[in-house]
Amino acid sequence: MRKNAILGAVLGAMLVTGTAVQAADREIVIGYQAPLSGDRSQYGEMFRNAAQIKLEEFNASGKLTGAKVAITFEDSKDDPKEARNIAHKFLDNSKIVGVIGDFSSTVSMAAGEIYAAEKMPQLSQTASHPDFTKLSPWQFRNITTQAFEGPYNADWIIAAGMKTAAVIYIQNDWGISALDGFVSGFKAKGGKITATEAFNPGNRDFRSILTKVARQKPDVIYLAMFYEEGAAFAQQREQLGIKIPLYGTSSLYSPKLIELGRESVEGLHLATTFTPDNPDPAVQTFVKEYAARFKSEPGMFAAQAYDAVGIMLDAVAKAGPSVTRESLRDALAATTGYPGVTGATSFDPVTREPAKALAKMMVKDGRFQVVTGP
Amino acid sequence: MDVNVPDARLMPATLAPPAAFSGRGRRFAWTLLLLAVAFGAVPAAIVGTGSSYLAQIAITTMIFVILSASLNHVTGTAGLLSIGHAAFYGIGAYAAALLSTRLGLPFIVTLPAAGLIAALFGFLVALPTMRLVSIYFAVATLGIGEMIYVVLLNWVDVTRGPMGIRGIPPISLFGWQADTLLSRYLAVAVIAVACVWVLHRLTHSYYGNALRALREDDQCADSMGINVERLKIESFVVATFFAGIAGALLAHTSAYIAPDNFRFMESILILAMVVVGGLGSLPGAVVGALFMIVLPEALRDIGDYRMIAVGATMFLSILLLPKGMLAEGTALGFVRRSFSRGWATIAGGTPVGWK
Repeated sequence: MRKNAILGAVLGAMLVTGTAVQAADREIVIGYQAPLSGDRSQYGEMFRNAAQIKLEEFNASGKLTGAKVAITFEDSKDDPKEARNIAHKFLDNSKIVGVIGDFSSTVSMAAGEIYAAEKMPQLSQTASHPDFTKLSPWQFRNITTQAFEGPYNADWIIAAGMKTAAVIYIQNDWGISALDGFVSGFKAKGGKITATEAFNPGNRDFRSILTKVARQKPDVIYLAMFYEEGAAFAQQREQLGIKIPLYGTSSLYSPKLIELGRESVEGLHLATTFTPDNPDPAVQTFVKEYAARFKSEPGMFAAQAYDAVGIMLDAVAKAGPSVTRESLRDALAATTGYPGVTGATSFDPVTREPAKALAKMMVKDGRFQVVTGP
Repeated sequence: MDVNVPDARLMPATLAPPAAFSGRGRRFAWTLLLLAVAFGAVPAAIVGTGSSYLAQIAITTMIFVILSASLNHVTGTAGLLSIGHAAFYGIGAYAAALLSTRLGLPFIVTLPAAGLIAALFGFLVALPTMRLVSIYFAVATLGIGEMIYVVLLNWVDVTRGPMGIRGIPPISLFGWQADTLLSRYLAVAVIAVACVWVLHRLTHSYYGNALRALREDDQCADSMGINVERLKIESFVVATFFAGIAGALLAHTSAYIAPDNFRFMESILILAMVVVGGLGSLPGAVVGALFMIVLPEALRDIGDYRMIAVGATMFLSILLLPKGMLAEGTALGFVRRSFSRGWATIAGGTPVGWK
């Protein structure tokens, strides 16, 4: 009897929560799925912080009359299994017209397969897997992929007069695409790749990779990794006395990189879509607001989420108060020159890939500074 | 097997037909009730609420029921602590995904193939590790689980590495395709119920007694004439076979798989289901899977403290019910009585043995 009592209770609980959602008052809802607990929760936290600021700005702006927009957050724990559950939870809620998220490409795609089949527009602030936007016409992203960033950085390095490079990349979908993007761009400009070394996610010991790579004396080491690994890498490079300059992907861009890496990250170059030093008033408003509320400077991830929410909300406003999942998708696809903090963003109407302008930066005197010229 | 106890088998032939009759009635009542829940109440709730969320959770639960019940077979019943179960789940999923996307094989082939391939790997792993006991075996399975995960992640040519495999066709059988969530649930439920039934027949038998004997004291069991090593290998192969089946179901129901689905934490989740449900108890493993999948979803509304609440619930359940929600002893008695699997010595008496 006990087992059935539990079963009954569980089913009962589900029925209750199911109806509770439908009983909410009339409003347009955007679903936001992100890792709010677990290993990657710091990213989810940034997304939620940034999204809240943008949502309040939007509702106060009066861009949309006759309806109010709300955002429902769900915690995916960076787990594909949870992401699938959330996808169906969002689909069941008829108030939800669009979804933002998830964080990693794998998890975004696990949910994306469901959104594609059930026709829900999905905009990820960070999923950079080349196949993500190919899932269906319902997938969008607000991050320039490594197919765009790699060649951009390769041009920059070549223009600075450096001809050989070693690439250190994280062994995941994103890392491989970063490797491919950079290597193809670098070779196309006449550069030579001396070595490519992968490390598994979670690894913090780069000494053997560093020693191996340094032996071939490349002009530059290109890092395709996140700031935690980047800081560890830079520190170990300093300890080993290796002087080869570092260039990296935009994923390294975070105040935490300098906090963790201290002097060892001095001179690291990277190109990013967002910099809090940008004098653009939109950027300054966002940076001040974020710092005032959350006592920390926003990084690229927060900015990426801020703009993803902005793009989604503007599309809602364009589609009007009677917005549907279909009309929101069409409005999203028509996004051109959205004036965000990560640069003016346009979606290609066919591939739905974003185009943005990148800012070249380096770490100097303990902070990121915009560099002009090579 | 050479573990039958003939005396116990002979006992009931002369005893108490009325008890057997009432036992049979109860057995049907319980079987019908469980089937009614799996194929009546749950589908009715899915149709009634029109909730795809409920359907998705039901599918996930059924897949984890197979995983938890199969891990219980090797870890609970046979006493070999395996903490690499998710890796075999992964092998099954990748086998099904690759066979269907690369070779275009139908579900009727990929499902058993996934089980057999996982079982083959299970057999290869079992051969050298079966002489290890207790924590040493656990560490060996941990290492092998990580090895398999890393291979899935790094063997890019075959597995596409972290990119995962996309476009896995849904479950289909002779032209019928499970393209709605309800039909997908029903297909998964039929297979899950069949898997649990097979595990039930293996566990609740003299064969199961032999497994329990080697768990309690393998040297003693050996001296009683039980082929300990063979039984250990068999139980591990059976468990990995069903993990492979669960993997195939995941691949065909989710259309996209990546190594992230088969991380170490997944093995721990399955182990937690077995322990929370009741180590060595098959009904417990089923309840444990239900509990560990449904609880985090039911608690979604409490937001940030959700995983803390899940952890606290697990902690309390182990503290207050150290033998699990349905402890092994209770579960065996329950199966003997309610499914009429034991011999009743006298009318209304405590059933013993297995039939």
